[in-house]
Amino acid sequence: MTDQFVVAPMLVALVTIVATLGTRRRLGAQIALSVAGALAYAGTVLVIVRRVVFSATASPATYQLGGWPAPFGITLVADALSAFMLSMVAIVGPAALVFSVSYMNPDEQRVFYHPLFHCLLLGVSGAFLTGDLFNLFVWFEVMLLSSYVFVAFYGKKKHTRAAFWYVVLNLIGSVVMLVAIGGLYAVTGTLNMADMARRLAAPATFGIEVGAVVGLSALLFVVFALKAGLVPFQFWVPAAYRAAPLPVTALLAGVTKKVGLYAVVRLYFTVFGGTELTVSIPGTDGNTVLAFYGIVLLCLATASVLVGGLGALDAASLEGVFAYSSISQIGFIVIPLAIGAASSVPAIQHLGVLAALVYALNHALAKSTLFMAAGTVRSAIGTSRLDDLGGIAARSPALAGVVFVAALSLVGIPPLTGFFGKLLVFDVALRAEAAFGLALLLGGTGLTIAYTTRMWNRAFWGTETPAVSASSPARLQIAVVVALSACILVVGLGFDPVYRFADAAASAATDRGAYIEAVGLSGGEGA
Amino acid sequence: MTAFALATVLGLLFAAGTYLLLRRDLLRVVWGVTILSQAANVYLVTMGGIVEPSAEGVPVLASHGGHVPQTTDPLVQALVLTAIVISFAMTAFALVLTYRVYQEHHTLDLTTLGGEP
Repeated sequence: MTDQFVVAPMLVALVTIVATLGTRRRLGAQIALSVAGALAYAGTVLVIVRRVVFSATASPATYQLGGWPAPFGITLVADALSAFMLSMVAIVGPAALVFSVSYMNPDEQRVFYHPLFHCLLLGVSGAFLTGDLFNLFVWFEVMLLSSYVFVAFYGKKKHTRAAFWYVVLNLIGSVVMLVAIGGLYAVTGTLNMADMARRLAAPATFGIEVGAVVGLSALLFVVFALKAGLVPFQFWVPAAYRAAPLPVTALLAGVTKKVGLYAVVRLYFTVFGGTELTVSIPGTDGNTVLAFYGIVLLCLATASVLVGGLGALDAASLEGVFAYSSISQIGFIVIPLAIGAASSVPAIQHLGVLAALVYALNHALAKSTLFMAAGTVRSAIGTSRLDDLGGIAARSPALAGVVFVAALSLVGIPPLTGFFGKLLVFDVALRAEAAFGLALLLGGTGLTIAYTTRMWNRAFWGTETPAVSASSPARLQIAVVVALSACILVVGLGFDPVYRFADAAASAATDRGAYIEAVGLSGGEGA
Repeated sequence: MTAFALATVLGLLFAAGTYLLLRRDLLRVVWGVTILSQAANVYLVTMGGIVEPSAEGVPVLASHGGHVPQTTDPLVQALVLTAIVISFAMTAFALVLTYRVYQEHHTLDLTTLGGEP
């Protein structure tokens, strides 16, 4: 079965890169093409979502590149999980692009801003769609290469320094990833993720040493934790996020961070999850590779929630608060994953992934809104240091309202999207009777309330500083953030279809058999 | 014997790369990363091994017909080719960035460059 539409988002992004490169001497045409490309991208994602999740004959779609059958060729797979992640890109990407048209000054936009932006989209969609481990590496590199340039974009002292750390760290990450992938290929004899899942479900038949798989998957896990910015691999996050242009930071926090998360869900739940270990893991009731990662994930999540929350309490600027908050929120996303992984009950595993996905959606919407709102503050007032701000709520009620909605969604107030994320996370913690998880959630929520309140009190309430009084935020920027915060409200109010979507995505992540069959490997022969 | 030699070379490359990575000079750090990624490439080639060719491992041979000599796994070679191109591009970018850091900060010494930006 070949479904050509799977490749459409990547093709659209690629065509837009070429088109915007070709028109770089005429800024007006370039911007028009770039925005049109982003909208077309969202359209193709909509087609995929409709076909894969919401149609009467919904089923995962695959595309075998060059017509080579599955274990040999490169496979692109769009199942509900990929579609869910892609739809986050489709919401945040075009919004960030329209925002940056107004935010970046024309000279900066002329410096390859638009082609690079679409290059980032291309890398992210490739990573979400590929069904091949080595291609995951390649798409990671495509995504990272454009993000390197964005971190170094302004080219001043602190940007070059932040970019250098970021580049070297990610290059080391790439080396580790390459080593892990090479090792996994040598041990399992395949790179196709569905084929690997099939072989790992019966390691004895294929002569696979399970111990080696655990070690190599742990090596791979380090890389994904680095990309997701989990503690102890978080140190690059604040510097890189403060250095990149703010609309791009919105995309980095809202979407590219989720690529690491997606890889964790896809590989550890779908691919490695079924492998039995001969030892039982303390603190879990399973003896699979997945249960092992349950404990690892819980440790990382705990550290992330605390470090991120405390860092956000101490940050000096709006971007600083949001960057540290992003570390903490990734911790929240990982808690239900950890609880699900540590449990051997399929229902709890399913609910764990479901909760993580809904929370990830909330984080993508709320955090990109906040970063863009910080961008509006910065371009209108000229600074985003908390010491220099005050009284924005009186000066620009629309902007303050947007930040208010997004911050409440981070805390988890109904009827916003964040409420359902929190609700599901608490639900899974209660069902799995994970007392530690519950305590962590409560403590982390306390921290979230503390840092959002601090940010709100210092920047948005109080007396107007002279800088704030003289400002007038740009209309287009306000419109984009208002639209995004309306999204948070709409997703929260009309949660039922989103729940069904996330439910289908969680099923896709935990149902190994369906994934293997979708790629066309059910009988061990290529389709 | 080949495996032993390759393992030794790999160990030396990784050690040299890590050593350079921990130096104070920015350029040496870039060299370190380059050597590390070359080490990963060599590692990737060794992962294929030398095997009796069959249509299972080398699909092109299915239509070849007749006897074929021993081959290495062609897949890892294709992978390494991709990895080399990527690491080459990254090295070029890292070098340009190093030059830019030098322009901005007038130093390549990591200790004077400072910690938290």
